[in-house]
Amino acid sequence: MTAKSSRRRIAFALLVIVAVLGVFVAKLIDIQVVQAAEINAEAVDKRSIPNTTFGVRGNIVDSDGVPLANSVLRYDVTASPKDIGDFTRTSEKEDGSLVETEVTWPKAAAEIAKQTGQTAAQVRSIIAKALKEDPESNFAYIARGVDTDAYQALVDLHIPGIYFQAVQSRTYPNGQVAGNLVGFVGASGEAQAGLEFTENDCLKASNGFETFERGADGVRIPGSTVTTKKATDGNELVLTIDRDLQWFVQQAVAEQAQAVGAPWGLATVMEAKTGKLLAVADYPSVDPNNVNLTDPEYRGSRVFNSPYEPGSTFKSVTAAALVDAGLADGGTRVLAPYRFIKNGANLRDSFGHEDLPLTLAGVLAESSNTGISILGERLDDEKRFDYIRAFGVGQPTEVDFAGEEAGILPDPASMDVQTKYATTFGQGLATTAAQITSIYQTLGNGGVRMPVRLVEGCRAPDGTWVSQPSGEPRQVISKHAADETVHMMETVVTDGHFGDTLKIPGYRVAAKSGTAQVSDGSGAYGSNYLVSMAGVAPADDPQYVVTISLANPATMKSSAAAAPVFQKIMSQVLKTYRVPPSSVPSPNLPTTY
Amino acid sequence: MSTNVAYAAPRTRSTASRPGVARPHIEIVSTRDQRRARPRTVYATLVIGGLFAVLLSQLLLSIGLSDGAYAIQSLQQKQRDLGRTQQVLSEDLERLSSPQNLAANAGAMGMVSNATPVYLRLSDAAVLGAPVAASADESAAPLVGNVLLDDVKPAADQIAKANVAAAAAAGADADEIAAVQSGNADSGVLSVPSTNPSTTALASGSSIPAPITR
Repeated sequence: MTAKSSRRRIAFALLVIVAVLGVFVAKLIDIQVVQAAEINAEAVDKRSIPNTTFGVRGNIVDSDGVPLANSVLRYDVTASPKDIGDFTRTSEKEDGSLVETEVTWPKAAAEIAKQTGQTAAQVRSIIAKALKEDPESNFAYIARGVDTDAYQALVDLHIPGIYFQAVQSRTYPNGQVAGNLVGFVGASGEAQAGLEFTENDCLKASNGFETFERGADGVRIPGSTVTTKKATDGNELVLTIDRDLQWFVQQAVAEQAQAVGAPWGLATVMEAKTGKLLAVADYPSVDPNNVNLTDPEYRGSRVFNSPYEPGSTFKSVTAAALVDAGLADGGTRVLAPYRFIKNGANLRDSFGHEDLPLTLAGVLAESSNTGISILGERLDDEKRFDYIRAFGVGQPTEVDFAGEEAGILPDPASMDVQTKYATTFGQGLATTAAQITSIYQTLGNGGVRMPVRLVEGCRAPDGTWVSQPSGEPRQVISKHAADETVHMMETVVTDGHFGDTLKIPGYRVAAKSGTAQVSDGSGAYGSNYLVSMAGVAPADDPQYVVTISLANPATMKSSAAAAPVFQKIMSQVLKTYRVPPSSVPSPNLPTTY
Repeated sequence: MSTNVAYAAPRTRSTASRPGVARPHIEIVSTRDQRRARPRTVYATLVIGGLFAVLLSQLLLSIGLSDGAYAIQSLQQKQRDLGRTQQVLSEDLERLSSPQNLAANAGAMGMVSNATPVYLRLSDAAVLGAPVAASADESAAPLVGNVLLDDVKPAADQIAKANVAAAAAAGADADEIAAVQSGNADSGVLSVPSTNPSTTALASGSSIPAPITR
């Protein structure tokens, strides 16, 4: 063997190796680069199991952290109709021996129905219908959202062809308590009403996605999990509502509404110093666990969504504006006639009387429309409307509740004379109950209007605030004007038409009644009234605001219908929050001269 | 730099090292190249042994891993089951602690709410308000519903039921005691001579010192 031939052989072998290597490299590039995406997808399909991981929607809790809305797992019961039929069930007897029993489909259907709350016929017809439409049908819902107990029982039945899907669901442990505020979600988890809807950004969870591989027996292979997106849980929504007080207020309003035959009623409780709503009651209430039990009309919160002509509770605004502008005080005198006719305006008081010598305080105590009209004239319309707007009328409150209304405010430049006078005593304009509450909060808080708050904030799982509602306090009227108005309203309780029904022993209460005529929808007033009461206590240092509205009471068409429930709720509030009884005596403003 | 390269001296057997051993005249001595090319058993054993060690540890590792996989699987299953139980229980707890349920239970136990609270002012010991006993008719029917409580009976009913059962049991006990007593009485009547033991019992009873009360 010469050196030359040896070199040639080496060269040949090298050439072959390079050629083979070249083929490999070419194939490698083809697989790894050219067809990579396609092959990867195919491979993933073959061995990877895609899996959606679920984030949990945040809870809604009251100011003490008591849950009002919870996320829970529920189960959809599904079936593969083509696989449904009679089967043999193997069960274990007490002595450990196995026993086989024949189970017919009607019997199995009855077993299912018992757990899902349907009838056996219903279950059978679901399967029969699916098979009629498509004999090869392999999917049908038998029941949706069954609870864990029922799910466990159904799993234990071991009926072939029956499958389960876990679904995220919501439960509202307190039922109708704050139901109108909390709102509800739809069957497939989409937010539909109330805070569930408006605060969805805070509450919503985002689902994650992962793939994993598993062995022949379905066990996940360790280390094969690839998380493409992590599931994140929703945040907790904290309300300013106190659940127990909310229940009490709802119960009290419902009792009175039924007693006087009112189709609907509202009540609010607010902290005077902070503008936080402690209770917002709507009657009828909705139970978010089953909204179908309630008329769609009553599924929202009328406190925010139904503007109405407030009536005489609005006289306090006119009185406060007059005092703030320096045009009147509690002792300002007016001779109030029964009927007042001027420049085409024609209005009268709610009860017949001789001309009454009243002070401004007396005008509120007697709720004289003519008196407030005559005094209200002192203030220029534009200026008076500036005050009304500053009190928050004509724009939605900071709560921004789902479907919240701004109310209706006429244009002072173009309104007719009748409206000019009517607006001094709360007719000819519309406010929501939330706005009235805010007005009385302003009067009770030295003229400083605090932003209305229903939500404390959105809290992350680690306890930090993600967001809290903003809004600046606003000095609407002077402290003197606000305090004077509160003192004037005390005479409603002490000298008004309500006897002892508004008094709370030990406390000075300031309130104003309202018996508003309700528009019949054609521009005229019908025979319906909205009776109301709004006030603060204790009057020497107002802590809490309570407002009540009852619509169209059948048996008692005056604010006397609202007085006892106002007193009951205010008593409960003062008791619950341990408010010390009034220590400063009332100025007892004179009502007549 | 020439010292950088080490040249191994040919490993020829030293003739002097084996005195007395008859040695052939001619011996084939492998060249250095041949000797270098010859596989060394030690290396081979080492490599193969290493390979087996790697394979074995791989096997053990995957056994361990899949063991872990099953452990994880069963623990996860357990966690799911416990999670379910926890959910069921906390749901129960929450709906039972709702104000509707508490109020219904309080009502069932005969509690009534007092709508006219009365205050005692400590500064001057004044009683604010007129103290009136709360009456049952003040608490109206519950008007704030909760469909979750539809199938929940007031606990008071259950307590009452339990009391009835306990009373029945107690009644049975009483009967038994009565029977025993009557049996004793019967035996007493029948065995008239047995008064002696009772007197001794009395005697021993009287030996107990009387309690001293102040």
